[in-house]
Amino acid sequence: MKKNYGIVAAFDTTPALYQACMQVRDAGYTQWDSLTPFPVHGLDAAMGMRRSRVPRFSLTGGLIGFCTGMSFIWWANAYEYRLIVGGKPYFSPMFAFPVSYELTILFTAFATIAGMFLLNRLPMHYHPVLKAPQFVRASDDRFYIVIEASDPKFNPAQTRALLEQAGGKDIAEIEE
Amino acid sequence: MSAPTAPTALANKFLTAGIAGLAVTALAFGFSENQQAVALAYLVGISYWTAVCVGMLLLILIHHIVDAGWSTVIRRQFEHGLSAFLWLFVLFLPLLISAWVKPGLIWPWMDLTHALHGGHGTVASDILYQKKASFLNVRMFTGMTLGFFAVWIWLSARLRKASFSQDADGDVKWTFMNRKTAAFGIPLTALALSFAAIYWMKSLEYHWFSTMYGVWFFANCIRAGLAFGVMITYWLYMRGDYKGIFNTNQLHCLVALAFAFVVFWAYVTFSQYFLIWNANVPEETFWYNIREHGDWVWVGMLILFGHFFFPFLYWLSYRRKSTLRAALFISCWIAVIILVDLCYNVLPVMKDAHDQPLPFLSLHLLWVLTSVIGVGGICVAAYLRSFGTAKIIPIRDPRIRESLTHHEATAPETYQLEAHS
Repeated sequence: MKKNYGIVAAFDTTPALYQACMQVRDAGYTQWDSLTPFPVHGLDAAMGMRRSRVPRFSLTGGLIGFCTGMSFIWWANAYEYRLIVGGKPYFSPMFAFPVSYELTILFTAFATIAGMFLLNRLPMHYHPVLKAPQFVRASDDRFYIVIEASDPKFNPAQTRALLEQAGGKDIAEIEE
Repeated sequence: MSAPTAPTALANKFLTAGIAGLAVTALAFGFSENQQAVALAYLVGISYWTAVCVGMLLLILIHHIVDAGWSTVIRRQFEHGLSAFLWLFVLFLPLLISAWVKPGLIWPWMDLTHALHGGHGTVASDILYQKKASFLNVRMFTGMTLGFFAVWIWLSARLRKASFSQDADGDVKWTFMNRKTAAFGIPLTALALSFAAIYWMKSLEYHWFSTMYGVWFFANCIRAGLAFGVMITYWLYMRGDYKGIFNTNQLHCLVALAFAFVVFWAYVTFSQYFLIWNANVPEETFWYNIREHGDWVWVGMLILFGHFFFPFLYWLSYRRKSTLRAALFISCWIAVIILVDLCYNVLPVMKDAHDQPLPFLSLHLLWVLTSVIGVGGICVAAYLRSFGTAKIIPIRDPRIRESLTHHEATAPETYQLEAHS
């Protein structure tokens, strides 16, 4: 038997979707999403989403980059192959700084992209909502809310009632 | 929307404080044994407030040249700040007069008979002075300084007139006029502030070479302008004028810009140090060597950690960039550190008998304080006087709607709502 992925409801306008999102949020659901053809400002607030956790990846990447630059230059010039250049000390944070700073930026960029992919679980070649033919319109002129069956508050009858009450149309269950 | 109630009482308080500060500085100059110390402290005070005003001028010019949206709400406050330029010019006159009446009191190269340390003759016989003499002479200094203020005052008048006139008639021609002003105003202001930094501060040690000096001063100007921008924002919030006008997203933009300039300041200041350190040429290294003498080395450390690392790490998180209190705290801190940075550049020119700089921690700091309060009191009073003459935001600016609804598509979180309630 095919497992139920969740329940989908369609909305015709952004305000309708926005209001519905607030109702789903206030009902305490956590495993759900909205699908829109374009970014809707403020929708993340209406959905009760926290800020992204990507900056933590960025910070970690930056710190690793800075330490890599400093320690690599120290290892190369002051430890592994001691070399006097321009009458300067074997190691000084002065001349190691420009390279460390560039590596900070480079590794921050890498970590940001990697963190974004990881948190979004990208690349994702298949998603259950793609099975429902009506979803073509999510990239055109319609707005959707999908509440997943894995949500602890999910109950086929009550969740459907909530979406109906919120003004959802064409409410349907979709398979995993 | 009508013009906000004029804070006349507050303006008078600042004016009184300013006059008191100037009076104490003048008395100190009259009675002090070390007149140079008082004069240099006054130079720091003037340069500091000039940096604040030039920063505000640049922010307005940049706003217009890039046709910015979000910054329209804060722009009006910077326009009020520009009214201080005229007073800064008046307050600079004593320094100009001293250049003619008592050359060499502040800038040693103005006195051609000034003896160099170690029996190296006088300024007049110094090859490094002779080569720079067409640039470093009192006439050029006077003419250029008059030119700097002419540029700043003229640009300020144009920007203010256009912005205030648009409040009344809503004509879009004022926006175009401002954009044109910005197009020629940016190079003019950039040249004026660079030469001002070179003449007023860098030439105190005219042997020195640094190609980064003008950029260093530019970075401090913008940082000072933004720091005072955040303070004004906080004040207007507390007064209630900004309630419902200035939101988290605009604050985040303002502080993110200030954050970017924390990094920019560090970049140019480090570059200046690094290039000199790397090249290791005596004509350049001496400037940092005297700043490693006595307690100046700790001032240098304070600038390194206090002007860069602390604001950088503190403002790294989104949360601290988008809450007013955290933004205000670092802005006040930056405003103080910029003053220390100017002291670091100006005060070590005072030397003892062994040609070593006099210590940082001394009575001279008191005159720095009275000068900053003196000049600052007048500048803030000028801002507050101007504040009551126009609406709190440019209500008929074509971008005002965009600015008021500025949104970055990020969720306001509970702590932000609390900070703004």
